Amino acid sequence: MMKIKSLLLSCALGTLLTGFASLQAADATAPAHDIYLCATISKNYVIGSKLVTNSGVYRRDAEGAFQHFGVNFPFVLNIAFDPRDRRRCYAVCINGVLQSTDGGVTWGIGNSWDMTEAKDVCIDPNLPDHVYLALPDGVAVTTDRGATWVRQEKGLPERGKYTQTIRVDRTKAGRVFAGCEAGIYLTENGAKSWCRVFPASQTVTDIQQSPHDPKLWYATTQAEGLQVSRDGGATWRKVAAIPTAEAIYNIAFDPTDARRAAISSWVYGVFTTEDGGQTWVERNVGLPADHTAFRVGIDPGNGRLFVSLYREAMLTSDDFGRSWRGVASLEGATVYNYVFVPKPAP
Amino acid sequence: MKRPLLSLFAFFAATLAASAQPAFEAPPPTTAPVLDAQQRRAEYLHRVDEVLTWAAGGGNAKTDDPAKLDLAMIAAKIVRGEDLPGCSQRVIALMKEPGTGPFWMFPSVCIAYLGRDRLTPEALASIRTAWRTTRQLRGDTENHWAMYYLSLYLMAELYPNEPAETWYSGKSSAENLAEARSYLVHWMDLATTVGQGEFNPTNYIGEYVMPLQFLANWAKDPEMKQRGTMMLDWFFAELAVSTLNGVLRGPNSRADEGSVIERWQAMASYFSWLLFGNTPPTAGYSGWGLYFAPLAKNYELPEVIYRIATDRTDDYLQRDRARVRRFWRYSDELSPPVYKTNYVRKDYAVGSTTGGRMDPIQAHVWDVSWAEGDPRGKHSTMFSLHPHSAPEAMMATFVTYPEPMIKGVTFEGKPSYDSPDKTLGCSPYERVFQDLDTVIALYDIPAGTRFPHINGFFSKDLLNVTEDKSGWIFAQGGRAYLAYRPLAGYEWIKYLHYTTGWAKTRLDLGDRLLTSPHLKNGTIVQAASVSEFKDFAAFQAAINALPLTFKLEPTPSVQFTSLRGKKITFTYDQTPVVDGRAIDYSKWKLFEGPYLNAEIGGRKLTLTHGKLERVLDFNTLKITDRVK
Repeated sequence: MMKIKSLLLSCALGTLLTGFASLQAADATAPAHDIYLCATISKNYVIGSKLVTNSGVYRRDAEGAFQHFGVNFPFVLNIAFDPRDRRRCYAVCINGVLQSTDGGVTWGIGNSWDMTEAKDVCIDPNLPDHVYLALPDGVAVTTDRGATWVRQEKGLPERGKYTQTIRVDRTKAGRVFAGCEAGIYLTENGAKSWCRVFPASQTVTDIQQSPHDPKLWYATTQAEGLQVSRDGGATWRKVAAIPTAEAIYNIAFDPTDARRAAISSWVYGVFTTEDGGQTWVERNVGLPADHTAFRVGIDPGNGRLFVSLYREAMLTSDDFGRSWRGVASLEGATVYNYVFVPKPAP
Repeated sequence: MKRPLLSLFAFFAATLAASAQPAFEAPPPTTAPVLDAQQRRAEYLHRVDEVLTWAAGGGNAKTDDPAKLDLAMIAAKIVRGEDLPGCSQRVIALMKEPGTGPFWMFPSVCIAYLGRDRLTPEALASIRTAWRTTRQLRGDTENHWAMYYLSLYLMAELYPNEPAETWYSGKSSAENLAEARSYLVHWMDLATTVGQGEFNPTNYIGEYVMPLQFLANWAKDPEMKQRGTMMLDWFFAELAVSTLNGVLRGPNSRADEGSVIERWQAMASYFSWLLFGNTPPTAGYSGWGLYFAPLAKNYELPEVIYRIATDRTDDYLQRDRARVRRFWRYSDELSPPVYKTNYVRKDYAVGSTTGGRMDPIQAHVWDVSWAEGDPRGKHSTMFSLHPHSAPEAMMATFVTYPEPMIKGVTFEGKPSYDSPDKTLGCSPYERVFQDLDTVIALYDIPAGTRFPHINGFFSKDLLNVTEDKSGWIFAQGGRAYLAYRPLAGYEWIKYLHYTTGWAKTRLDLGDRLLTSPHLKNGTIVQAASVSEFKDFAAFQAAINALPLTFKLEPTPSVQFTSLRGKKITFTYDQTPVVDGRAIDYSKWKLFEGPYLNAEIGGRKLTLTHGKLERVLDFNTLKITDRVK
């Protein structure tokens, strides 16, 4: 703990401020994407507490600082924006799914009591009225932009359908992967039926599709390390370089460079590849000794790498993990997700 | 036995004047039942007044400065008609910083209803505004959801026909009402067919009965009002049958270090004091307990429940079912059944579940606890456990990654979770069998398990602790003789206690732990009443004469003939056998005993004491009383 505090102190007092200034300088051209963070900053928050800090969703402003966006809610894990109209968005949280149709000014709870503690949300870019929800007891789908949410679990196991992550194949409407306790499940028909394409002994934690090659997918897991598919998710094999004894939390592709990707792990810290996954390298110099890496994200505008340390800070790297510096205003935060959304046309 | 009410009131008035929290500071009350109904009611009302007086006077804040009132104090002032303008102003101030979930929702509902005709329109509007502007977390436990939906239901009834944009949920009054009602009926259906998930909670009982009391008083829908009334009786009946002299005993789905070590130190004791009058109240009436008081005078405790709570003339055995909270993963079942046994005698009680996984953090599996004349400060209990700490246990019930939950929970009110010397929690590697006042706990802990040992709790209040050459450890607690048989070698260490969930340091209160670093292990405890033996030596001789054989390899197994003459064979992960007959848990009812009886799936609880009978029938939503 002391090491983390020392790190933060040095970040906060020195490197961080100058580093943050240089981060802005590096962004001389206006970014093409907005960055949203799903973050909880209420350290020691427990159910019922007053909200003494803002949590929920943060958006990077024109000056590069993160400003609170929308509802102040402690456990927002992910947010998805309708590609046709960014004012319509879906945020998953302990209550289920929060929905807004006015750009986050007002929100409503989309689900009833029979859905809870949603873990992930994903919009089908080819059918944006269709939104998929990952739940601790399965999967729910709306086909009417959140007006109604319906369980769609045929083919998921009765036990083992704890769903941590859900991801839509951008190349085909209704083709969706669900990362469950029992493995990766695939539907080709908008969740009308599911079949298992990868068996797991414990939870699949993240699934991502390459922005460069739609056939390339990675999945992080709790007990099977990092899995890769090069045939659109039909088959998966383990990435040998990544250990499997401890959980891998998530993976991020670099949209600016097809060779680069990064993974986070509480125990292992950050690994990156810069050769299309042939080799993976630990990038933990400058991170605390116990790592606690919770989430990585990569800015699609410039390839900048972010890592969130659990309840401590968000760090960023301009050299893809070789060195790290703190990001101002997010001390004590846990970032659950980095969400990059193309800016609307002017 | 009937006492003059006038002098009783005079005595109470004197104590109220002399002391801030009189019953807490006074000698313990008598445990003898008050048989006269009028006197019993008068004493109950006086206890309610004591709480209201204390709360209206500033409670723990010890001030009636309006600027420092919390919602509980305001509630007390409203029902007493005190400083209503000041209450209104304070409500407006408090609503500028509302809370974010069920622990804020039900107090604010309390004020919204109590203040309907007493607070200013501005104050009432400030509550309503907070219910529009502040996102309310539903939480992730059974008590969270009960508070959340009971509160939402009542607020939606209080403000009907209002559009979605006026509620934090983004749903209209009708939609909120329908969702809340649907959940509440579902939850009551579960509880009355397969049992509570959070069964016999030491502290969380308040989180259920307070908003249920609101429902019973304020619901406009007569069906929901009746459901509130019946669930209150259901909870208090369970409390009554599980207490000895007002102190909750035996297993708990959720407890804390304080209420496990000092069994009286629980909100359950506050309700025993208030309803049964047979134990002192807890400090500050357990804080949240204050919210029961404003409406408490409207509640008439059924006599049958009172009798069940206070009559300990005869020994009784109660065998009940409950269920585990939801296992999202790492389980073949969503909510596996829990089998509870409670054997209660005048001098002590023995209670247990069958072990295994329950609540991952706060479960208490079994104990032998003895009666004390004054339970305050007394650690009147004995038990053993495997101090299990594992990410999988957390992930089964919480939607979390493997590592952060353990780190987080230790500074979120459960500081001992990852401590090797903890005394709270269940383990997948513990199996327990109880027959009357004999408990056998067996452990088969895989190599490599974090904390590969078991802990036995030995209270500072035990007398004559004697490590006998036979292997038994003998002791006396109150008027109970206790024999504890560790099945493997051990050593003694100090027990260090977290006084609160937020404590940073631990205190040596004088208790010890018997810690045994053997993976295959076990504990046998046999209790008896002092009155059954000529002296302590005679008890020891009787125990030493009992046939006992056991082995730990390859699987822990015990053959023991109990003090009650029962020949018990119990092997880890195998069905216990008593006098040649295997125990068939599949036939256990939801409640079965002399006092409470209900079938699995029945939605009907029959309460019986002597000639008194009360039936709570959730199929018809009818309460039937009769004298047999």
